[in-house]
Amino acid sequence: MTTLAFAILLVASLAAYALNRRAATTIRDGGARLHSVSNYHGLFALLLMLVPVLVVILIWLVLQGPVVNAMVMWALPAGTLDGLDTGQADLILAEIQSISGGRIFGDPEPWKLAAAAHLTELRELAALGLVLLTALLCLAIMYVARRKVAAGFRARQGVERIISGLMIFCSVAAIFTTVGIVASLAFETYKFLRLVPLTEFLFGLNWEPQIPIRADQIAAAGAFGWLPVIAGTIVITFVAIFIAVPIGLLSAIYLFEFAPKRIRSVAKPLLEILAGVPTVVYGFFAILVVAPAIRSLGASMGIPVAPNTALAAGGVMGIMLVPFISSFADDALSAVPRSMRDGALALGATRAETVLNVLFPAAIPGIVGGVLLAVSRAIGETMIVVMAAGLMANLTLNPLESVTTVTVQIVTLLIGDTSFDNPKTLAAFALGMMLFIVTLIINIFALRIVRKYREAYD
Amino acid sequence: MDALRTVTRDIDTNSTKISARGVQVHYGDTHAIKDVDVDIKERSVTAFIGPSGCGKSTFLRCINRMNDTIDICRVTGDIRIDGDDIYDRSIDPVQLRARVGMVFQKPNPFPKSIYDNVAYGPKIHGLARSRAEMDEIVERSLRRGAIWDEVKDRLHAPGTGLSGGQQQRLCIARAVATDPEVLLMDEPCSALDPIATAQIEELIDTLREKYTVVIVTHSMQQAARVSQKTAFFHLGNLVEYGDTDDIFTNPKDRRTESYISGRIG
Ligand SMILES: Nc1ncnc2c1ncn2[C@@H]1O[C@H](COP(=O)(O)OP(=O)(O)OP(=O)(O)O)[C@@H](O)[C@H]1O
Ligand SMILES: [Mg+2]
Repeated sequence: MTTLAFAILLVASLAAYALNRRAATTIRDGGARLHSVSNYHGLFALLLMLVPVLVVILIWLVLQGPVVNAMVMWALPAGTLDGLDTGQADLILAEIQSISGGRIFGDPEPWKLAAAAHLTELRELAALGLVLLTALLCLAIMYVARRKVAAGFRARQGVERIISGLMIFCSVAAIFTTVGIVASLAFETYKFLRLVPLTEFLFGLNWEPQIPIRADQIAAAGAFGWLPVIAGTIVITFVAIFIAVPIGLLSAIYLFEFAPKRIRSVAKPLLEILAGVPTVVYGFFAILVVAPAIRSLGASMGIPVAPNTALAAGGVMGIMLVPFISSFADDALSAVPRSMRDGALALGATRAETVLNVLFPAAIPGIVGGVLLAVSRAIGETMIVVMAAGLMANLTLNPLESVTTVTVQIVTLLIGDTSFDNPKTLAAFALGMMLFIVTLIINIFALRIVRKYREAYD
Repeated sequence: MDALRTVTRDIDTNSTKISARGVQVHYGDTHAIKDVDVDIKERSVTAFIGPSGCGKSTFLRCINRMNDTIDICRVTGDIRIDGDDIYDRSIDPVQLRARVGMVFQKPNPFPKSIYDNVAYGPKIHGLARSRAEMDEIVERSLRRGAIWDEVKDRLHAPGTGLSGGQQQRLCIARAVATDPEVLLMDEPCSALDPIATAQIEELIDTLREKYTVVIVTHSMQQAARVSQKTAFFHLGNLVEYGDTDDIFTNPKDRRTESYISGRIG
């Protein structure tokens, strides 16, 4: 039935398009000069119908379920729900729904059967109502739109208004999603901070969150200082960026300026493939290849190296980020006008000097943008570190030790037994919030720096 | 002293700075320059004129080997500066470009400060031994570019913040800062208004005292005003080359005549 409503809407809007277009063409053929070409008259009718009716249908579909359910529960024989809490009431509703869907388990009471029949009936009614409403709305709008067709009607501006409204709606939706995510994080963080004091969270040097959820579990006493965790993130991010930025930039410069066409045409797609490798593959590359290599190297030099090291995880993450940085740098370098290059070359600069002294500074904003994104990704990267960095919080800046990161802790806190009134679970949200704040601060700082030092070339 | 030098120059009209023989340029399959022979005199202004697409810029770029930076471009023939074959294997194009400066059609200052724009060439070629020496080079170049007075109070402001005409004079200052012997200018005034154009033309006239200037222009009046010699190109051929006065008053080739009188273009 819902499909039918959509079909009606589609057909009606196409019809409205054709109708208005034809009407406008007729006016034009009658000798009048149209303000907008007839195509816009058609488009105006199309959008005028499509957008609002679509919104109405979607709202209807969202509201239909809850309203129908409420009506069913309300129509149950008096007294059935007395003394039941919401969980039990939900269970009854679920049972009624499954009966109505044809899945009957055991021997339900007759009042449940009656309610299920009622539910089926209401659902059919609602679907019919939706189709009728759609048809009525379509007809009404078609009439209104058709009435508007006239030589002087500004259909073009009308279309633009509707489309810009649509665009505003989309950007607002994106912003609201962000706000919603942050708000929910903030809310859970607030709950967490009622259980664990802020000072302990921010300045505590221990992270032992695996506290018992049920009374019979044996586990740690619990400590929620985030410093060891963020220290792990910082170490790994540093290692990753330290590897990714030089390799990425130099390979971009080589490919952009020095590589013969043939090498470029092979190397660029290869780099891009590197960007498409799933992080879990990087993860086992880190465990199986890089970590043992680092260990044996360390052993041969007499340096003790942990089996899981920040160096292995960060190094592999750095390799993952290389194509990221190099493709950003390549784009930024290509965007510098050719006249800059020619100017430097004509002064007798070598190609390396041209790239380093002229193109590179002009491309800095784009390159920093790429590095920033890489930093954000390194901070947020989860799979590689879960696999290769370790799980034990360890307050150290030594990349040869095993560390854990914010994202790893979020994962481990949320798998297994969870309960949303327990500091262990809530700590995950607090960590998420901190991650968000840290990334935000980095971005703001970097934007400032870029704006200050950029060499604008136009 | 000055008078003496002018006299020497007028007498010594045969000192050839650049000589080209049988120059051919191909862009892939396009034959852009066809067998061009030309001798360009020292300390004079030579104008290249001709309809759009006839190869003026291409030939100009042969003289400082900027064509090397275009992948598909192939140059053959013989071009000598002071008798040295500039396409010889022993010649480093990077060194050559320090001796043969170039000013482009569109002003293209680097996104750096005015000072750094001018200092860039001397810096990469190690022309200044100290900061003071560099300051001196920058000032001298900016004066030669006839822009010193306008920018002396804001040497550390970005060069891109100047007006179009000022930017072009900055680019000229940048080009003369490496102390070149030859200055190539590819339509240096086409993006400028009449006042800025007049300033640059005046500047070109003074540059002639020290440099061999080759200028591409679409304006006959400009060619007539600033140059002593004029070369007319048509479809990749050098049709006519001679004293500017002769070319404009008494062209020998029919094509030159019709171009000058505005019938082809
Ligand atoms: N980079 C290039 N790649 C391919 N062909 C080129 C290139 N540059 C120039 N050409 C071709 O060479 C010929 C000469 O071009 P050139 O730029 O020298 O003309 P021009 O005389 O400077 O013209 P204009 O007065 O319009 O600047 C043209 O046919 C042009 O299409
Ligand atoms: Mg040209």
